[in-house]
Amino acid sequence: MKVKIKQWSGVASWLWVANDENCGICRMSFNGCCPDCKVPGDDCPLVWGQCSHCFHMHCILKWLNSQQVQQQCPMCRQEWKFKE
Amino acid sequence: MNSGQTFVVPRELPAAWDAVTEALVSPGPSGPHSEESLSRALALLCSHSLGQCVEGWLLETMQVRLTSAVAPEFWAGLEQPENELEERDRARILLGAFRTLLGRLEPFLGGLEQLGAWQDEGPGGLCGPGALGLRERAFSVIRAILLFSPAAALQERVLEFYSRTFAVHMSREGEGQEGPPGADRGLCPGCATPPQHCWCQDALEELRELSHILSRLQLLERVSSEAVTSILHRLIEQRMERRCRGEYESSFLSDFQEWLERVLGWLSRVFVSEAGVGVPCPSVAQEGMAPEGVVGGEAGQPGSAVLQRWRCHMHQFFCRIYVNMRIEELFSIIRDFPESKPAIEDLKFCLDRTSQRQQLLTSLKSAFETRLLHPGVHTSDIITVYISAIKALRELDPSMVILQVACQPIPCTSAATREDTVRQIVASLTGDAEGCSDLANELSRADPVTLETQDSEDEGSDPEEWTPDPTDALTDKTGSKRRSSDIISLLVSIYGSKEIFIDEYRTVLADRLLHQLNYNTAREIRNVELLKLRFGESHMHYCEVMLKDVADSRRINTNIREEESRLAEEEQPPLALSAMILSSEFWPPLKEEKMELPPLVSRAMEAYTQRYEKLKAMRTLSWKPHLGSVTLDIELGDRTLTNLSVSPIHAAIILHFQDKSSWSLEELSEVLGVPQEVVRRKLALWQQQGVLREEAGGRYAVLETGASRERPERGVLLIDSDEEGDSNTTTQSEQREEKLQLFWAYIQAMLTNLDTMTLERIHSMLRMFVATGPVVTEMDVNELQAFLQRKVRDHQLIVSAGVYRLPKSNH
Repeated sequence: MKVKIKQWSGVASWLWVANDENCGICRMSFNGCCPDCKVPGDDCPLVWGQCSHCFHMHCILKWLNSQQVQQQCPMCRQEWKFKE
Repeated sequence: MNSGQTFVVPRELPAAWDAVTEALVSPGPSGPHSEESLSRALALLCSHSLGQCVEGWLLETMQVRLTSAVAPEFWAGLEQPENELEERDRARILLGAFRTLLGRLEPFLGGLEQLGAWQDEGPGGLCGPGALGLRERAFSVIRAILLFSPAAALQERVLEFYSRTFAVHMSREGEGQEGPPGADRGLCPGCATPPQHCWCQDALEELRELSHILSRLQLLERVSSEAVTSILHRLIEQRMERRCRGEYESSFLSDFQEWLERVLGWLSRVFVSEAGVGVPCPSVAQEGMAPEGVVGGEAGQPGSAVLQRWRCHMHQFFCRIYVNMRIEELFSIIRDFPESKPAIEDLKFCLDRTSQRQQLLTSLKSAFETRLLHPGVHTSDIITVYISAIKALRELDPSMVILQVACQPIPCTSAATREDTVRQIVASLTGDAEGCSDLANELSRADPVTLETQDSEDEGSDPEEWTPDPTDALTDKTGSKRRSSDIISLLVSIYGSKEIFIDEYRTVLADRLLHQLNYNTAREIRNVELLKLRFGESHMHYCEVMLKDVADSRRINTNIREEESRLAEEEQPPLALSAMILSSEFWPPLKEEKMELPPLVSRAMEAYTQRYEKLKAMRTLSWKPHLGSVTLDIELGDRTLTNLSVSPIHAAIILHFQDKSSWSLEELSEVLGVPQEVVRRKLALWQQQGVLREEAGGRYAVLETGASRERPERGVLLIDSDEEGDSNTTTQSEQREEKLQLFWAYIQAMLTNLDTMTLERIHSMLRMFVATGPVVTEMDVNELQAFLQRKVRDHQLIVSAGVYRLPKSNH
């Protein structure tokens, strides 16, 4: 017997490769989106800091903009620098 | 006049008295006495103040004669005939009795006329009530004496006679009286006798004469009303039974209107004298068909008032009878709704004229309960009838009160007890359910009523047009605002909230997207857009993301395909794999099932994942091996099965058989990582197809040749039956159970801290603390109570005096 598979349509879900499940700022799931966004994924990406913490990009930008003096990671209080 | 004179009786006074009284009781003015002698005599009487006595004497004489002779004679004349007599003879006797009666009373009536005339002229100070008053008094006396104890015989005779003349009249009018007894035996349709003995004409003549006599004696109303009423009632009922029962697809109003006008023709014969002698009866009937029954042109005629009154009565009868019948049939009418619209319109017309709303409500409600709301009825039928009811009652009662009251049990029973209701509604809403396109059409209606704005004040409507609710409206706090006539909002309101509804829609949508997997979403997009118009943008957000996932998946697939096609021949992937990539947070929870795919497939998936990771930085894929669909060909020794479309687990099984042609259940179960029971079930499909067979010792082997049961049809979609109803998403109740389990943790924590809590307290605390997520966390007190009761039964909770606490051992 020979089985020839013409087409295999699978189902998968995507997820961020992150060390946490929820964004530390908005507490929403990384696989969801930040409160301001409607669509997850490309439209609401994650960013990583050099301290290895990651957040929704929109969340951390909002946070950084609100910081007057020094821009720190909200989790570890180290100076925030984007990874790469 | 002085008192002394009264004792002196003038010689000529007795003579004058005799002259006057004789003139009064002998018919005709041309008695033995001439005009002037009479007036002289009258003047003499008056001068002796005997004018009053003349009147008294006349009435007294009449009364005595009536009691002693006329009335007994009349009754005897009526009773005299025996039952063997023919109908025709009975009619004649009836008429004869009245004729005699008139003959006997005629002299007195003449005398009354005369006396009245004298009194009106007032010659010689003769005073009295005048002609009119006098007549009235006399007729009261006649009625009183004659009909003091009317015998049943009179009513019977009159009824019989009128019925006959009615038949005659209607047959003359061309009505034909379809199906009278004996019409097929060549009998006259009017009098039901053989044609040579037909007495139709006579009957009409007799009717005419009788009417004259009765009206002359002012007995018409008294004698005829009852008979006429019962005849009309009976005939309308008969006709209605014959014509309208079970017929909902045409309007009977104008038909009946016409018929009633013809009946009016007969009435005008009965009341002919009052309607004006000599007026040809049908002329009355020719007047307008206005249902309100205003015959303008006839208003001036004497007696038209009587006819007018009868006409109103008739309409009233008609409406009442019609409403009664339709109320009985209302359930069937609703069931047939779009076709039965004429019946609904008729009913609406008539219902406005009778006060039978309450009757309709109770009857409809009980009809629903007995015919619809029992366990034997399929949910989709309930919904279909409910939708019909909404539509039909919307026509019947724009205020929707009837719907709200009568259909109240529908939502309560069906929604509370049946889990598949929401799914049914959603399915028919999106046009999936067969034969139920109503909702789909409703959804795509041009001007959807958004559920959002309904909650707010409707400022748009003109305050002048406001009408109060009918008195039978339910007095609920929501008031009339909530009673919308929009089918979808009504259906949604069954479930209390849009959220449940939308959640269900999301599940249905997920199912459908995962089943077809062809990235063709035009219809779903349309549905989502339409639903958005109703439920508001924000609620449909999740669905939009789902649809976007489908579009994105297609793009990613093309991307990856392209990349693969650039590879060298030997690096081409062994499997054409495409994927539906979901944003897990936005899809309803999918069933988790573990399954090991054959290496060939898992390798292809890994390769796909790698390419995806390259495409989308920092993201990876988590495959759901049991979901999806596979198209494959199977080449066997002597035959080929092509384009089979199966589920991944079926494909995985058959792929294993490619490597090794005989497997035991245990082996398969182990290599697939799936329980044996499931494997056995899935194997059934391949056995059915004649690809595998079960051998001794519980092993399965490939049937390379000679499949006796080869199926002629190829390329069909093969989904075995037990899977058909299977959805890929967890069911509503499973989700709820999960949610409640989450609550249980909260409840335990709260009770540990606070020791005891009431139901309301727990509910409000939960509402406060449990954040709303994609899963509906809405829960009403009753549900919570049921849940807590369950926990109490499981001894995980103690309830006493209305407060809950944890059992001691748990501490």
